[in-house]
Amino acid sequence: MQDLLYFIQQLINGLTIGSAYALIAIGYTMVYGIIGMINFAHGEVYMIGAYTALITITGLTALGIAWLPLILLVALLCAVIVASSMGWAVERIAYRPVRGRHRLIPLISAIGMSIFLQNYVHLAQGSRNMGFPLLIEGGFRFGAEDSFQTSISYMQITIFVTTLICMTALSLFIARSRTGRACRAVSQDLGMSNLLGIDTNKIIAATFVIGASLAAVAGLLLGMYYGSIDPLFGFIAGLKAFTAAVLGGIGSIPGAMLGGLILGVSESMTSGYLSGEYKDVVSFGLLILILLFKPTGLLGKPEVEKI
Amino acid sequence: MNTSVKKLVTGIGASIALMGAGSAFAEIKIGIAGPMTGPVAQYGDMQFSGARMAIEQINSNGGVMGEKLVAVELDDVCDPKQAVTVANRMVNEGVRFVVGHLCSSSTQPASDVYEDEGILMITPASTSPAITERGYELIFRTIGLDSMQGPVAAEYLASLNPERVAVIHDKQQYGEGIATAVRDTLLENDVEVPMFEGITAGDKDFSSLVTKLRDADVDYVYYGGYHPELGLILRQARQTNLDAVFMGPEGVGNKDINSIAGEAAEGLLVTLPPAFDEKAENQALVKAFEDKKEDPSGPFVLTSYAAVQLVAEGIELAESKDPFEVAEALRSNTFSTPIGTVEYDSKGDMKSFEFVVFEWHSDGSKTPVN
Repeated sequence: MQDLLYFIQQLINGLTIGSAYALIAIGYTMVYGIIGMINFAHGEVYMIGAYTALITITGLTALGIAWLPLILLVALLCAVIVASSMGWAVERIAYRPVRGRHRLIPLISAIGMSIFLQNYVHLAQGSRNMGFPLLIEGGFRFGAEDSFQTSISYMQITIFVTTLICMTALSLFIARSRTGRACRAVSQDLGMSNLLGIDTNKIIAATFVIGASLAAVAGLLLGMYYGSIDPLFGFIAGLKAFTAAVLGGIGSIPGAMLGGLILGVSESMTSGYLSGEYKDVVSFGLLILILLFKPTGLLGKPEVEKI
Repeated sequence: MNTSVKKLVTGIGASIALMGAGSAFAEIKIGIAGPMTGPVAQYGDMQFSGARMAIEQINSNGGVMGEKLVAVELDDVCDPKQAVTVANRMVNEGVRFVVGHLCSSSTQPASDVYEDEGILMITPASTSPAITERGYELIFRTIGLDSMQGPVAAEYLASLNPERVAVIHDKQQYGEGIATAVRDTLLENDVEVPMFEGITAGDKDFSSLVTKLRDADVDYVYYGGYHPELGLILRQARQTNLDAVFMGPEGVGNKDINSIAGEAAEGLLVTLPPAFDEKAENQALVKAFEDKKEDPSGPFVLTSYAAVQLVAEGIELAESKDPFEVAEALRSNTFSTPIGTVEYDSKGDMKSFEFVVFEWHSDGSKTPVN
C-alpha cells in the first residue's frame, strides 16, 4: 500500500512538471510546424513571462490588494501581454528579416536574441534568485496518518487544470477558427497559401504570439510552484521543453503534450526510484532511443519532399 | 595626413602607457577576485567589502613600506572558466598579490595560473581541501577546510541521537566534499544514513526528492551546497509537510535563503565560522564598517579583511614585494588578525580554524546553538 502511494506521489510530481513542459513545448512545435525553424529565444520569453508575473504580484501586494483571484488574473494578463509582445518582437527582429535565407542564419540570430534577452534581464533585474511569494497553499492528503501520505497540492491542481484549459482552447482554435485554419494551411504550404491570399506574415507572427502567451502562463505557474526565478531559469526549461517537443514529434501539437508528460514522468520516476543524479541521463537516453526507432518522434509525421 | 594622425595616436598611446607605468612604481596592486554578479554575488559583496575596508585602513595608516595599496577588482561570477580569464587578466595587470577567489571550483583552476605566474593568492572563502593539497608554494587561505566543517556538523547531528539522517549534495566540489565528510563521520558515530545522493545545481523542481525524503522517514537532512537550491528544497518540503530538520554548510547561510524559502527557513541549522564581528577586540573595526553603512557580520567579510592584512604584513616582514619571499614570511610567522591568531602549516592552511553551529531564523537572523 505504501509503495503504491509512493508511486502515485511520484506520478503526480511528474505529471505536474510534465504538463508545464508541454505548455512551453507548444511554442517550439508550432513555430517549427509553420516555418521549419527552432525558436531558440522561446525559453527566454518564458523567463520574461515569469519575471513580469512576479513584478506584477509584488506591485499589487504593495498597493494593498489582497484578493488572490484578482492578483493572479492581473499577473497572468500582464505576463501574457509582455511575453506575447516579446514573442512578436523576436519574430520581427530575428526571423522576418532573414526568412528564406540559409537555415543556419535564423538559427544563429535566434540564439543571439536568446543571449541578449538573458543578459538584459541579468542587468535589469539582477542575477540573484528572486523568491516568489507563496500564494496558493495547502492541498489534499491520502493515506494513513502515521505512514507515507500521498499529497496533491492546490498548486499542482491549478497547474493541471490550467494546462488542460489552455490545450483544449488551443486545439479548438487551430481546428475551428479562421486564423487556425490559415495556420494549418501555411504549415502545409507557405508559398501556396500566399498565392491564395492568406497574409502569411501575419499568420507567422500569430504563431509566435500564441507560443509566447502559453509560455507566459507556464512562467507564472512554474514560478509559483518552484518558488524562485533567476535569469537562467528559461534556458534549462527551454531545453527540456524543446526535448519534449522533439520526443513527441516536432511540428505536432498533441505530440508536444505527450512529449512533455513523458519527459516529466520519466524525470520524477528516475529521481524517485534511482537517484536524482540520473534524471537527465535517463530522460535524454530515452530521447535518443525513441529517435533511433522513430526519427520523427512519437506523433510526428515523416517529412514528405515537396515537389 | 593619414600617417601624421597615426603618429599622433601612437604618441598619445605611448604617453598614456608611460603615465600608467610611472604611477605603478608608487603603489602595490592587490587583486580582489570574486563574484560581483551571478547567483552567489551576495558572498562576493562580503568579500569586496572586507577587502576594501582593509585597503582603506592600511592606506590611511601610511600604506605598506611607504607605498599605497591599490585594489584591482574583477568579477569571476563563480564560474571556473571565468575564473581562469580573471586570473589571466590579473597577470596582465601586473598584480602580484590576489585576495580570492570565493567558490572552491573557481579558486582551484585560478590558483594554477597564479602559482605558475608567481602570484601570491589568499582565498578568504574556499574551503575545499583539494586546493592546498597540490604542494603549491603561493596559495594560502584565511578560512577553514570542508574537512573541518563536515565533522563539526556531523558530530553535532550525532549528539542529537537521530535515528536516520539523509545526506544530499549538489555534485559540486564544495557541496559534495562536505557531504562526503558528513556522511563518513555520521557512519563512524553509528548513525544510519539511508540516503546519500546528488541533485543538479540550477534545478528548480525538487518534488521527487522531497517525496523520497518523506518516504525514507528521516529525522535530519544534511545538504552540501549553496542556498538557491536548499531554499527551494526547504520551501517545497514545507508544502508537503516533511517534518525533518535541515542542516547545511556556510554556503547556505545568508539572507537570500529567506527570500526564497520564507517561513520554511526557520530552524535551519548552519555551520559558520564564529561571529568574528561579535568579538570584543573587533568592535572598533565593526564600527568602521557601520560608519560606511556596511554589514560586517557576513562570514567572509573579516576573512577577506584578514587576507589583505596578511599580504600587507607579509610584505613588511619580508621587506620585499617578491611573492615567494612574502609566502616564506607568512609561513614562518604568527599574525594577529580580526579572525584570531593566524599560523600557517606547510600547505598554506591555517593550523586552526573554528566552526560553530547556528540556528537560522525566518527573519534572516541567527543564534548559536552550542
